[in-house]
Amino acid sequence: MNVAEKTKTIQPDSLIGKRIPKMDAPEKASGKTRYIHDIDLPGQLHGKILRSARVHARIRSIDTSAARALPGVHVVITAADIPDQRPIGVAKDHLPLKRDRVRSQRDEIAAVAAESEEIALQALKLIKVEYEDLPIISDPTEAIKPGAPLIHPEPHGADGSHEHLKQGMPVAYAGKPDNIAMRFDYGHGDVAQGEAESDVVIEDTFKLHYVTHCCMGVSGIIAEFDASGNLLMYSNTQVPFLHKREFAEYLNMDPSRIRIIQPPIGGGFGSKLDIYPFEVICVFLARAAKRPVKMVFSREEEFLASPTRQPVLLTLRSGCRKDGTLTFRQVHTLHDNGAYTSWGATTPFVMMQTFSSLYRVPHCDYHTTAVYTNNPYAGSFRGYGNLQATFAIEAHMDKLAEAIGMDPLDFRLKNAQEKGEVTGQGMSFKSCGFKECLTTAASRSDFRRKHRENIRNRNTPDPVKRGIGIASMLHVGGGAKIYPSDGCGTILKLDDFAHVTLITGASEIGQGSETVLSQLVCEELGLPISAVTVVNNDTDITPWDVGVHASRTTFIAGNSAIGAAKKAKAKILAAAAKKFECPEADLDLRGGFIIKAASGEPLIDLARLMRNLHFTEKAELVMTTFYYEPPSKHQDKGFKGDVSAAYAWATQVVEVEVDTETGIVRMTRVTGAHDVGRVLNRLGIEGQIEGGVVMGQGYALTEDLTIENGVMRNPNFRDYKLVTAPEIPEMDISFIESMDGEGPQGAKGVGEAPAICIAAATANAIYNATGVRIYGLPFTPERVYRALHGKAEKPYWKPWKPE
Amino acid sequence: MSLKHDIEFTLNGVKRRATVGVGMTTLDMLRDVIGLSGTKYGCGEGECGACTIVVDGASLNSCLMFAVDCHGRNVTTIEGLASDAKADALRDAFVLHGAVQCGFCTPGMMMQASHLLACHPDADADTIKRGIEGNLCRCTGYKKIVDAIASVGETAK
Amino acid sequence: MTGIERYVVPASLEQAVECLQQLGEVTILAGGTDLMPQSQAGRLKIKRTLMNIRRIPELKGIALDGDVIRIGALTTISEIMRNDLVKKHLPVLAEACDHFASDQIRNAGTLGGNICNASPAGDTLVPLIVLDAEVELASKPDGKVYQRTMPLAEYFVGPGKTRRAPAELLTGVRIPLPPAGHVARFFKFGTRPALDISAISIGIAGILNQGVMTNVRVAFGAVAPTPVRALHTEEALEGKRLDAATIESVANVARDEVKPIDDIRATAWYRKEMIHNMTKRMLDHVAQA
Repeated sequence: MNVAEKTKTIQPDSLIGKRIPKMDAPEKASGKTRYIHDIDLPGQLHGKILRSARVHARIRSIDTSAARALPGVHVVITAADIPDQRPIGVAKDHLPLKRDRVRSQRDEIAAVAAESEEIALQALKLIKVEYEDLPIISDPTEAIKPGAPLIHPEPHGADGSHEHLKQGMPVAYAGKPDNIAMRFDYGHGDVAQGEAESDVVIEDTFKLHYVTHCCMGVSGIIAEFDASGNLLMYSNTQVPFLHKREFAEYLNMDPSRIRIIQPPIGGGFGSKLDIYPFEVICVFLARAAKRPVKMVFSREEEFLASPTRQPVLLTLRSGCRKDGTLTFRQVHTLHDNGAYTSWGATTPFVMMQTFSSLYRVPHCDYHTTAVYTNNPYAGSFRGYGNLQATFAIEAHMDKLAEAIGMDPLDFRLKNAQEKGEVTGQGMSFKSCGFKECLTTAASRSDFRRKHRENIRNRNTPDPVKRGIGIASMLHVGGGAKIYPSDGCGTILKLDDFAHVTLITGASEIGQGSETVLSQLVCEELGLPISAVTVVNNDTDITPWDVGVHASRTTFIAGNSAIGAAKKAKAKILAAAAKKFECPEADLDLRGGFIIKAASGEPLIDLARLMRNLHFTEKAELVMTTFYYEPPSKHQDKGFKGDVSAAYAWATQVVEVEVDTETGIVRMTRVTGAHDVGRVLNRLGIEGQIEGGVVMGQGYALTEDLTIENGVMRNPNFRDYKLVTAPEIPEMDISFIESMDGEGPQGAKGVGEAPAICIAAATANAIYNATGVRIYGLPFTPERVYRALHGKAEKPYWKPWKPE
Repeated sequence: MSLKHDIEFTLNGVKRRATVGVGMTTLDMLRDVIGLSGTKYGCGEGECGACTIVVDGASLNSCLMFAVDCHGRNVTTIEGLASDAKADALRDAFVLHGAVQCGFCTPGMMMQASHLLACHPDADADTIKRGIEGNLCRCTGYKKIVDAIASVGETAK
Repeated sequence: MTGIERYVVPASLEQAVECLQQLGEVTILAGGTDLMPQSQAGRLKIKRTLMNIRRIPELKGIALDGDVIRIGALTTISEIMRNDLVKKHLPVLAEACDHFASDQIRNAGTLGGNICNASPAGDTLVPLIVLDAEVELASKPDGKVYQRTMPLAEYFVGPGKTRRAPAELLTGVRIPLPPAGHVARFFKFGTRPALDISAISIGIAGILNQGVMTNVRVAFGAVAPTPVRALHTEEALEGKRLDAATIESVANVARDEVKPIDDIRATAWYRKEMIHNMTKRMLDHVAQA
């Protein structure tokens, strides 16, 4: 530092709200980032899995002798070779290697570890399996019927009598007497009273389809045991600490002997919240081979063996008064669980929030039944049930408004939640920009005028009709307390050069958490973003975090990082105050210096102060830790409670052109207004929202994972159509900064929000354009064309709940 | 095993030899034989563009190209682009415009963008969107990628 | 994995057809964009010899040969799209190329490959058929190189199957220069500008004189095992004034003429509807132009 600099004053500056490029972007744009696919360990073998050739069958026999004899093959395993395998998944109904029965097309039967992928694949072809086909149940409405063939039948002895199993045995062993995987029943108020008070009551069934994540980087894992039996996994998990515990259970190991390293990940979107059979199988292979084993999917396998968003049949009954007040909602949903239970079954947690609390509704009744079928099984996916719930609700908001002759925007404004409200489900909205979202998105898109005009133009000769539709969403924005902890730890250290190492439990999955957390730390310590290195991918180093889900990382890990930075700042200022013999309050950190708070005059550069502190007799280092646990609550048994520390809101207006002669729907423009609390990194948040909008566009228009009788028809990008660049709409995104009191610098979570309303708003836009409402997704040309020509089947599912 | 063949070609400006399987893809050659991992496998069917490289001045999906067909040709991968001073502007634009999230599509997107700009230095947004229609991105929604490429085109003017 | 025993790279047409004649079981490699994914996925097995024809000069280039435009089999889709002769005389072919896959695939994929792959949805096939294109086939059965030509409309036998004999090589395509007053239109159904396997495609060509279409050619893609000429539709349009009544009746004939199937991309019913609606739309555009 020179003297001239010393005499200058340093002006206050802030990184908050700026456009900060992602810290890992230069490496990624140079092709230097090493994803799991790019990592090879010395002595590594390649693992491959033999999957079922049948959808539902008994396994009569498996002959692996020819595969074992193939040169280059180290290990071949089947369920018989792993007597200690344990059931995995949310309901413990899933053995990684199937024993006597396959229940879906993706089911794992055997696995090989070999010198090369080519040899491993060749070995798979040499494995002979004899099957005895069983009836396929691929329709959830059939699966719930009494007497339907069972996906997980209870075991019977040789004499046909029921085998007596210990109480509490997992479903994988004990089976189930019916196909019901999970149930959720929620209610507040009295829907009968609500219905009696209604002037208008409507009921419709909505049919939501299968889609899948399509992470550009396919799934992969590398597993290795050291000489002492400690397990090291290179994994793409979004929840490393939960997985450490779960792997320990599945492998009958001490959790402290499991270490997970997370290389950069080629996309997550919720797909990596559960442990899947391939991961456990890869560990079995590594254990048996005593060598590192790497397993990477092909794209086809990625489609076949990845989780999906959950298909839902949903019957919604809603009512309102003539003055536009909502009176009640009654919801019955049937979730296609697939053959095993993963997080998809638990999405009703989120769905019921939307039904009970997006709009003010005095009486609400919600029931979900998730049923086993022989279809692919559903996991968690960005939005977590909320796309499906919002699709139904927002269709009814439009229909009710039309029925009472009210403008659809006014109807929504009348029923919109406001700051300070506590909903029937017990969610309390401490910050809420919902009404501002509605009015901003509507005015920026000129919604009212276009909505009226489009209706007038429905009967003009032009075959291309224009439509505009609006939809809104509520989602957790301050974590979600669904585990005993919803917290995140931070360890922060400054070195002798005032370089910060931020060690956080929060994982980077492409969303930009590294950059935002660095920004928050730099904001406290008055440092440039280049002064931070983030360590966030090794469970032996990083402190606990519950994982990347529920749009929680900025909020939870952000508060944690700020906590650690504040402690470091206090320590630094205390040392500086001593050195300059002044009160700490007179000092501040800015531009890499200790400054006089009042004048901005720099006193000493931070690096020198750090060395002063370190290389003295009473040597000290600045190292701090902080743990943040949000002030949210677990829900009670009736699903009531304030599950998140903050809630995020958004309104999206979608404009479309519908070609009535082809059924092709073009999405021309999306106007979004998002209550994000506060914008931290403008570049990052725009990217999250634009990406989410286009993911929502795919859900609405193009993506359709087609399952026929349990068989996936389109496990490829040719026929499973992601949105491509020429198809994207114009996007106009506004941020509503409601400055949440608990959020880091006022921010709330936003990761899932942008994908949620697009399909719902598109349905309303198509109706606005054509006068035809379509109750099933996606709006592919043929579905739309059929609907326009009265040839669409309107889905109907009679509300049903067990008992 | 399968039939091997010796080829000689220029890779990122350096002449080299390789022994490759006759049925092997150029992608597998780059990643597994030569050890350059910047070119990514996304689908193996030419539908996603993650494996885009430039051969004799034209962008191609390396997963669709037979490795033996590289013989005598001039191949550029992301590693070659990354060490090219002219490409720095493109990389900086991707970084500054937020065109990178998970980054898995980025090397292929960069390769296609460099080829696009070589063909259309002043490409407008619509031309750019068409130019990258063979490159899938699941994170960004493409807008920031289009912005990044357009900014380099404008600077080049 | 692969059963390839031999890899050959002929330097001339003569060498290539000699190889085909002598080696018998040969898989031909041009751009590789269909061959590679099909062989990798096991949908197609590469035969004992893989013959890379990319070094054969006779298969390259686009040239005017009298009143015929000849496009060499190795010409890439991108080269066709950018070629001035094509843009001037065969704009409908350039347009179809613009709807073909993606830039990367257009840069690698060849016209000969698209023809020999013989997909019912091949993007260049329908426009080439309505342009009366012929394919050139070369062979060397008895020590001498023979060439024969065949109308493209007769070349296809089924999905992936053509009338090319195993010892023949497709060397190029010959397209007569369209006469004055020639109009040609191409429509590919899809939600994307390209990178889409068409659910249906339509080609219409003919000579338009004072509102009357003659020398009519109509072809459809993805409604049969091969791209097909629609003879009834042509007949319904031939010599007729392009008024609303004609257009509607031609569109009805078109709908009745095609016999598509249900598949992952569309149902037969919808394909027939699209054939009707888009034939009508294309003819409306021709009439208004």
